[in-house]
Amino acid sequence: MDASELGFPVRHKKLSVDITGNRTDIVICSYDDHILVIATQIGSLGTIINARKEEGVLTNPTFHVSVIFGKRDEPVLVACARQLIEHISNSGSSRPLILSLGLKDHSLGTLKGIVSAVIENCMW
Amino acid sequence: MSTGKETAGEGLATGIHNIMIEDHVKVTCFSEVSDDLTLHFQIIRLPNQIYAWIGCNSAKFGHLYAAAPTRPNNTVSVASLLAGASDNTGSGIARRIVLKTGLNVILACNIPKENPMLEVNAEKRLVQKLIELGYAKPKSKGLSS
Repeated sequence: MDASELGFPVRHKKLSVDITGNRTDIVICSYDDHILVIATQIGSLGTIINARKEEGVLTNPTFHVSVIFGKRDEPVLVACARQLIEHISNSGSSRPLILSLGLKDHSLGTLKGIVSAVIENCMW
Repeated sequence: MSTGKETAGEGLATGIHNIMIEDHVKVTCFSEVSDDLTLHFQIIRLPNQIYAWIGCNSAKFGHLYAAAPTRPNNTVSVASLLAGASDNTGSGIARRIVLKTGLNVILACNIPKENPMLEVNAEKRLVQKLIELGYAKPKSKGLSS
């Protein structure tokens, strides 16, 4: 469901998908200078990750991904953010990403499902 | 505070847009004019938490804070997650939202520091809306500051 409300400066999209058997609510918001993605199976934002592109002068861009709230020992969450910021960058946008993941399981299947659902509904 | 922007002919009250999918996640967006500045509010209600964004004249994300009631004596704790500090506008707003509503809140806010009346108006409107939407928790146990 794409909601570009009349006159409101932030576009957002909301959807609900089944990922590895868990209902996952996803909200994607496009601010002027950030993208916010919330994907939750637990009714709260969960772990919040900041991912941004760092432009190299002579090299390809690199990405800095860090957990700013929540689980810092779950690599799948960081990997998810990294995949999405790379997709954002490859699409031509340099906006950083705030990714919030509240997941019941941290399997590769869940990671792939979330990345796939967000990219299919991307707003960048 | 002046009146909100009207979206005529659509049956929506004062620019408020509510979209709900089976009650799990509800997004509410609205704008209001305050002293020649436009405040934008976005509230995302999750079953166990609220995310809110306040924009002043722009759609920049701003600073990000987390705030929640904290045991054992129900005080409020605030953490700056992105780019903010304890003396930035959003930090105080986040703290007082939790005090007044009892909610667990993640707040993004780009209101400039040097305008205390704007901060007061934005906070008041947001708290009003949270109560109007029925999100605030009943004050059975007071939160201590």
